[in-house]
Amino acid sequence: MSQHEPSRSFFYRNQFLIYRLFSLSGLIPVGAFLVVHLLTNASVLGGAGAFQSRVDMIHSLGPLLVPIEWAFIFLPMLFHATVGFVIIAGGLPNVGSYPYVGNIRYTLQRATGMIAFVFIIWHIMHLHWLGTPFGGGKFDPHHATSSAATALQPLGISLLYAIGVLSAVFHFANGLWTLGITWGLWTSPAAMRRASYLSIGVGVLLGAAGLGALGGMRSTNVEQARAIETRMEDVKHMLDGQGGAGNAPAAGTALELPQLKLTPPLP
Amino acid sequence: MSRSHASAGTSGADGHASPTAGTTVHVRVLRQDAPAQESYWERHDVPYEPNMNVISVLQRIAAAARAKDGRRVAPVAWDCNCLEEVCGSCTMLVNGRTRMACTALVDKLLEENPEEIELKPMSKFPVVRDLVVDRGRVFRALERVQAWVPVDGSYDHGPGPRISPEQQEDAYPLSTCMSCGCCLEACPQFTKIEVHQRSGESVEQLAQRRDEAYDDGFVGAHAISQAVLFNNHPTGKMIADERMTALTAPGGIQMCGNAQNCVAVCPKQIPLTRSIARAGRAATVWAIKKLFDR
Ligand code: HEM
Ligand code: SF4
Ligand code: SF4
Ligand code: FES
Repeated sequence: MSQHEPSRSFFYRNQFLIYRLFSLSGLIPVGAFLVVHLLTNASVLGGAGAFQSRVDMIHSLGPLLVPIEWAFIFLPMLFHATVGFVIIAGGLPNVGSYPYVGNIRYTLQRATGMIAFVFIIWHIMHLHWLGTPFGGGKFDPHHATSSAATALQPLGISLLYAIGVLSAVFHFANGLWTLGITWGLWTSPAAMRRASYLSIGVGVLLGAAGLGALGGMRSTNVEQARAIETRMEDVKHMLDGQGGAGNAPAAGTALELPQLKLTPPLP
Repeated sequence: MSRSHASAGTSGADGHASPTAGTTVHVRVLRQDAPAQESYWERHDVPYEPNMNVISVLQRIAAAARAKDGRRVAPVAWDCNCLEEVCGSCTMLVNGRTRMACTALVDKLLEENPEEIELKPMSKFPVVRDLVVDRGRVFRALERVQAWVPVDGSYDHGPGPRISPEQQEDAYPLSTCMSCGCCLEACPQFTKIEVHQRSGESVEQLAQRRDEAYDDGFVGAHAISQAVLFNNHPTGKMIADERMTALTAPGGIQMCGNAQNCVAVCPKQIPLTRSIARAGRAATVWAIKKLFDR
């Protein structure tokens, strides 16, 4: 304690700015991504076709997808996590002596941040193509539901996902409330109470979406999902082969076209 | 004889009745003879008296100057002054929680833990001796944010601006801060900084080195709240920008992690989270203003 050395690093000199960017990054883009991601996943509750068409929409970005992923998801998340770990290291949790609700939330905010960090890395390795060299990368964007369902259905995996998703959701919902204090969005007791309702609402909604998606994947019939996906892909290829949607559809395609709408009928 | 026996029996029967005369209060004190020395536990027995507080317990311990085992010991040292929770000098850890010794009532403490009362010095400040700590960093933080109304000068400025009753009501709770340091002791973001005198170092050199070390650390909830108080005072406002510079400097408001322990333990029940949020808003506006004003 006596060897306290005043450090004059870049990080130290720009502490305020970096902490504010950290706080902002938790909401935009990382938090915003979490919301979109969990709601997209929850679309599997509408059937394999519904989820597949959402995934197709995202993948229609084509070669832009990779730079967008890095610029708006991976790098901001790495920044947030790096600063987050610095903050965690600088704190001295004391729920044992001061077991107040605010303090428990403070401690959980740090615990769930670290769980989310481990989970997200494992999750990327498990499903994202970046994990392919490590035996992961199990998600196939052309067979979104069937590949995800196959990967997620083992009970142990489902449980780990439930823990990871709920940690991220708590972290985001509670972080939303503290973010309002950090930036001074809610300053009166009444406003703070309303902010609590907002945070709880966001947390419950996202938690339901996350667990719903997981439940949807678990109850998916992989064979049927695969059939639907294959049919959707055939239609896409056929349309591409015809030189775009502007041309008159060839015979036979007309029958299949309705399946491009979100919910194709099951065979 | 039989009377005292009967009364002891009554209080024992329902278990939670306050102890009667003749009962012994067991006290465990974490002692330290001087800065940078090892600390050690010492047990003391004090005869119970009605309406005791921790200060009167410490007075009995000092008067006896004997540990529980009968050894003669130096009286336990502690700080106090007003004895009515306004001076802020008697902060210590009573049963593990930061609070004012003068308003920590023995009857209440025995309800919390009938076995004993545990006394420790604050853990975030350098121990001077036993329960006496150096709270200098609390005051240094007030200097950092210039927690005062700047009216010094050589001529009369005339009367200050009027303050509306609404403003007074807003400011009054914040003005009751007594620099006790409870909010800092309980804050998980506020960590101890202790600077020891080097051999051959003058008192002035030590003081300067200590201030520099303190200035790197988190200012703390009390200073944030005082900055809010004086930035909303019509005369104090005149140096609002300097206070915002201090609040957004390293160790400023950004170090707060929103644990809200400060507001939970503040003996004056100052709405510290509210102050932190208001300072956060002011810092947001200030940072944006600075971005475009340069
Ligand atoms: C990946 C590992 C992560 C770590 C280690 C981490 C760590 C932290 C920590 C320690 C805080 C508290 C900061 C403070 O109040 O002083 C925090 C706040 C926050 N985090 Fe994270 N986090 C992570 C991921 C995420 C994710 C995935 C999201 C979004 C879904 C997120 C959103 C937020 C938000 C909104 C805040 C509130 C910021 C504020 O209080 O101003 N974090 N994070
Ligand atoms: S804000 Fe409260 S706890 Fe902190 S120093 Fe002032 S009176 Fe003590
Ligand atoms: S709200 Fe901020 S200042 Fe108060 S105890 Fe928590 S971290 Fe410390
Ligand atoms: S002696 Fe003044 S606050 Fe306790």
